[in-house]
Amino acid sequence: MDVHRVPSDFAQWWTAFLRQWKFYIRTSRFLGLLVFVLIVTVAFTGVTLYLHDSGTSAADYLYGAAGEIGIFGIIIGAFIGGDAIAMDFGSGTGYFMLVLPVKRLVILLGRYAAAFVATLVLIVVYLVVPLLGGIYFWGVTGIPWVDLGESFLLAALYGLAVLSTAFFFSALFRSTAVSMVATILILFLGFLIIDSVVGTSLGYEPWFSLLYAGSVVGLPLVGQAHHTVQHTAIGAGRTLTTHLWYPYVWEGTLILLAYFVIFLVLSAVVYQYKESKG
Amino acid sequence: MVRIEVEGLTKRYGYTGSALALDSVSFEYDGAGAIGYLGPNGAGKTTTLKILTGLLRPTAGVARIDGIDVREHPKRALANVGAVIETPEPYPSLTVSESIEMVSEFRGGPIPNIAQEIGGLHEKLDLPPLDQRTGRLSKGQRQRVVIAAALVRNPSVIILDEPTNGLDPKERILIRNLLQELKKDHLILMSSHLMQEVTEICDQVIFINQGKLLLRDTVENVAARFQSRAVDVEFADSLPLDRLSKLGALVRTVTPLSDRRYRLAFDGTMATRARILSECVEIAPVVTYESASLALEDAYLSLMQANNGGLPPPPRAS
Repeated sequence: MDVHRVPSDFAQWWTAFLRQWKFYIRTSRFLGLLVFVLIVTVAFTGVTLYLHDSGTSAADYLYGAAGEIGIFGIIIGAFIGGDAIAMDFGSGTGYFMLVLPVKRLVILLGRYAAAFVATLVLIVVYLVVPLLGGIYFWGVTGIPWVDLGESFLLAALYGLAVLSTAFFFSALFRSTAVSMVATILILFLGFLIIDSVVGTSLGYEPWFSLLYAGSVVGLPLVGQAHHTVQHTAIGAGRTLTTHLWYPYVWEGTLILLAYFVIFLVLSAVVYQYKESKG
Repeated sequence: MVRIEVEGLTKRYGYTGSALALDSVSFEYDGAGAIGYLGPNGAGKTTTLKILTGLLRPTAGVARIDGIDVREHPKRALANVGAVIETPEPYPSLTVSESIEMVSEFRGGPIPNIAQEIGGLHEKLDLPPLDQRTGRLSKGQRQRVVIAAALVRNPSVIILDEPTNGLDPKERILIRNLLQELKKDHLILMSSHLMQEVTEICDQVIFINQGKLLLRDTVENVAARFQSRAVDVEFADSLPLDRLSKLGALVRTVTPLSDRRYRLAFDGTMATRARILSECVEIAPVVTYESASLALEDAYLSLMQANNGGLPPPPRAS
């Protein structure tokens, strides 16, 4: 075989992407997530429309769906990307893939692209059902399309940021099961706790939190105050002070971009230097 | 050019590098043929093969394929290599055909021929149905699929880590025959625990233990050097043990294996071996007369014994 006939990095990336995409959409994990997202979004839309108040605007209604992308995005991204790299070191996949004449970075980017498309499909499914409900009640012209488009782009960027983070954590582990569980716990519970302790209780803006940045997704539809302080009486003359934080749109966008780039680069570095010692 | 070369290859594991897996191993091979890489578990065989395929980085030294440093330029170095290391698993939800196609696409080459090539591999390796998902295959079926993937696009260098591990006798024969055919125009480097398999397939052998290369030679030379020191003789009819007393000083011990079959230990020289046969034929009709063990097996045991100051160490996970 002529050495020079090995395909270009781009052609190999395309192969990695297509095969990984085929792999993802056939997994019970993806199909399970699809069913889960459908149940949640249909339930949300049904309940919201059942309780429909004519005073509610289409933007408020859609914000109800887009505003929850933060949590769902993390669940989706963690399940899709939680073992993306660990699979090469915890199972025999690496012995099949990493002995081929293809750069690890190319394999990683192919997998990343496939994971992103899979995540995007789930996000679209999550958003399209409430959108159809919105069109039913407010008509096509009643939908704030530009704001919704901006919100969707932010959701896509959020998906990239979550995947980069999930890929990074998956690169740290060798067992696919441990990697998946750890990624879900870190992304889901970890950021919830950080937001709650640092932001809500201590009153510091949790600008370093992925979940906090993810709350930017719904903001193009309905603006929120950057910082709100609430004092609640809890008896015996005492009050509980809580802080509510929303990022500015530019700020949330920058944080998501930072997560996307930094963790993707870190994933690539760890993957490049990780050895198949098992 | 078809060439495998390792030079001063050293690999240490652990944070402090205290576990020495390979200790300055060097060898090189040019052209077609099959090389058996032998040693007990934990000797450093798989570590060497992993470094040659870019799965591990050497602590020191260099591994080159076709003159290209695997560590520095893995894509170019592995362009002409098909490898089966440990127990590879294709993506479980891809079919047999898709898995082989994927490898083919990564390696490159004219796409229109892929169906024909996969068909050829299907026939040669008795692959499971091409539309079956690899996650549903048995261990033996999956092993044949990964061997097919290693061979797709006809790479000139084939690196195999215990390729028949987990295969049934029929599958082993299939792989053995295939490798015997392939070695005519491919360079095959294979590790194995099966001396019979290595004897049948390989032209040259490398013995390694505790990370050190002990011996490197052709199978014929090793066989000549480590002559078996025992023969098994089988007579046509039942024969009492005392009838063999006629062999006298030619044999050191006589061990009955059955009422017709005996193991005779001797000094290992060809002259004594020939005289024992003559004597046995005088005693009673002889049906078979063969070495009690393979020459490679004897070589293996002798080398390990000398290297360890005793018997080979008990197997440990590599």
